[in-house]
Amino acid sequence: MSSQSVPKIMKQGGLAPWLYLLPALLIMTFFIVYPMINTISLSLKNRDGSASAATTCVEGNPCWGVFENYRYALTAEFDTTSFSTFWTSFWQSSYGNTLKWIVLMVSGTVGLGLAFAVLADRVRYEALAKAIIFMPMAVSFVGAGIIWKFVYDYGTQQVQIGLLNSIITSLGGQPIAFLSVPQINTLALVVVGVWIWTGFCMTILSAALKAVPDEVLEAARVDGATEWTVFWRIMVPIIMPTITVVVTTMVINVLKLFDIVYVMTGGNFGTDVIANRMYTEMYINFNVGRGTAVAVVLVLAIIPFIYFNIKRFLAQEEMR
Amino acid sequence: MKKMFWQIFALLTIASLFLVACGGSTPATQSPATEAPAETESQTEEAPVSDDMCMGTQPGDELSLLYQWSGQEEERLNQILQPLVDTCGIVLRPESTRDQALLDTRVQAGTPPDIAFWNITQLTQYQEQLVAMDELGANADAYIPGAIDPGVINGRWLGLPVKSDIKTIIWYSPLNFEALGYSVPTTWDELDALVEQMVADGNVPWSMGMESGDATGWTGSDFLQDIMLVQQGPEYVMGIIDGSIPYDDAGVVQAYETYGKWATDPLYTVGGAQGTLSTPFLDAIYKPFSDPAEAMMVKQSGFAGGEVQKQFPDLVFGTDYDFFVVPGAQGLQGGSDWMMAFSDKPAVQALVSYLSSPEGGANWAAAGFDLSPNKGAAGNYTDPSLIKKAEAFYATQGFTPDIGDTIPGGFGSAEWTAIVDFVNGSDLASALAQAAAVQAEALK
Repeated sequence: MSSQSVPKIMKQGGLAPWLYLLPALLIMTFFIVYPMINTISLSLKNRDGSASAATTCVEGNPCWGVFENYRYALTAEFDTTSFSTFWTSFWQSSYGNTLKWIVLMVSGTVGLGLAFAVLADRVRYEALAKAIIFMPMAVSFVGAGIIWKFVYDYGTQQVQIGLLNSIITSLGGQPIAFLSVPQINTLALVVVGVWIWTGFCMTILSAALKAVPDEVLEAARVDGATEWTVFWRIMVPIIMPTITVVVTTMVINVLKLFDIVYVMTGGNFGTDVIANRMYTEMYINFNVGRGTAVAVVLVLAIIPFIYFNIKRFLAQEEMR
Repeated sequence: MKKMFWQIFALLTIASLFLVACGGSTPATQSPATEAPAETESQTEEAPVSDDMCMGTQPGDELSLLYQWSGQEEERLNQILQPLVDTCGIVLRPESTRDQALLDTRVQAGTPPDIAFWNITQLTQYQEQLVAMDELGANADAYIPGAIDPGVINGRWLGLPVKSDIKTIIWYSPLNFEALGYSVPTTWDELDALVEQMVADGNVPWSMGMESGDATGWTGSDFLQDIMLVQQGPEYVMGIIDGSIPYDDAGVVQAYETYGKWATDPLYTVGGAQGTLSTPFLDAIYKPFSDPAEAMMVKQSGFAGGEVQKQFPDLVFGTDYDFFVVPGAQGLQGGSDWMMAFSDKPAVQALVSYLSSPEGGANWAAAGFDLSPNKGAAGNYTDPSLIKKAEAFYATQGFTPDIGDTIPGGFGSAEWTAIVDFVNGSDLASALAQAAAVQAEALK
């Protein structure tokens, strides 16, 4: 379309678009760009931002100069005396736990969400079933954390007020301290995350499934494909773009995850995650330099997923 | 027309966003006259405050306060400050929050409250911003010896200890002790023997639960410091605080081993290790006083008495619940809430000189707001448990602040982590080594 054919009223000079963008740009600069730059600059300084981070180096210990806070953020949790101690300490560190969260929670929410979406599609009470699954999304994370803290409660009395332990003891078992026994506890926390987010994944995946053309499915069935084959060979490939978007969104969500861990264990008992560690450094230890360094590491870890998500989104827009 | 409305609306929204963003430093401009009368009802029992204590305050001068107290505690503070309000006409602008991030943000943004009542670590954290107490007319002689020492940071006296509590005490039920034939131990060996006797009788001696969200472990750190006061004495504890004794020293290891023997065994404490880790500290306070009692004793600070009273309103101090000082302790562990000033305006000076005066101490004691290290408080307590606490408090040879609260730089949470990991079965040496590394770094 040449500019000559555009009616005059729709023509815009070089300035007009910027004027429209100005409010958004100003707000973004003030609330996103400036804090970001400030965070990076603070992460290169000492605990209260008064001098360079290089001054916090301890003689005789490894030192990364001005990046000293990053050395702390990246290596302090690991015991590097031997490979086996490194391996053990890695899986108890905030990085190891965040990795566990990503693997377990993303596969849990997307897998269950997809299963519910497919199954709910085939029953008459679909709306009700989906509403129930979606409902935890309406509970705040802190609220969910408190609810589940009660579910996992480990009582020292004969009467267990925690739902799970009361079931276990009524069946004759020994109560389990779900939140303080290492390995079990991170799993117990992931269950809470899955409980909250499955509804979100289900809703999006269900919408994608509805968009799968009936003709394709019917053609496959007429050709004698089993439901299993229809699911894996027809449905999943068609909704694959949506699945990828859901997966990347969930990975970003999990990387940012803070509330559940903070409310339920406070990062104790080997359940720390990166976002909670950032909070601990910032507001419990008051080490602004280290807190912001952990924050920057977290942002760097998230950026590839955001980039991927946006690229995916743009590609989809183009297809429309 | 409608479109026009939305355009204006959008513009106003954006404009207001900027106003909010930039308006943080605007002081409260509300006329004081509209709010003052609500609080002027005078209390009777207080000592009078003389006019010259007002330090030239004009009636209507505002004083902003930030503290963690609410409910009954806040009422008591108001009662203590009432004479100042009445005499000088100061208008208090109090804010109550438990969120330290709020205080941090205010200070960093350059809009701190005039006065904050907070913890000892904040004196170090904000030393650049705080106004020294002697510049504000505080009277150091009004305090019991040693009480203000922790508040002197790099040679400047930065805070008033206002509300103190002792931690080196054990709560028990005299009723249960009598029924089972136990007597209050007077030496550590007697306590040890009593514990073994209880175990032999099939009674659980301790309730050691310490779950407290992201602060889980502090109950254990109090217990450990008391054991160190018994086994090593107050100078040893002060040595850890100033860094001359590393946190993985043999004496610390010995204290952890004593503690661990009790804290991880279901015969000695309710629920064993997992009970210690996952029982909320408040629930742990209730256990010796429930019916039937789940444990015989709980080692917890002075505030536990108030919690027992709240949970079991029918119980009476002295007969149903009581405490004894940890037997054999060669000193006391205690903590204070500290008052710090971010401004030197007349109203702040008036408050500082009032609270550091004998009248201020007397009024603090009369209000029953825990202990006051102000000498004027002695003899003015009315609550029986406060009278008993005050006795131990004024008689002590060595008053030691909480190790974890006093060492800056994240040692507190490193200490909690060490305790939690140790109780949860980790290797003691490596748990202590990590805490010692943080201690060394913080005090270098």
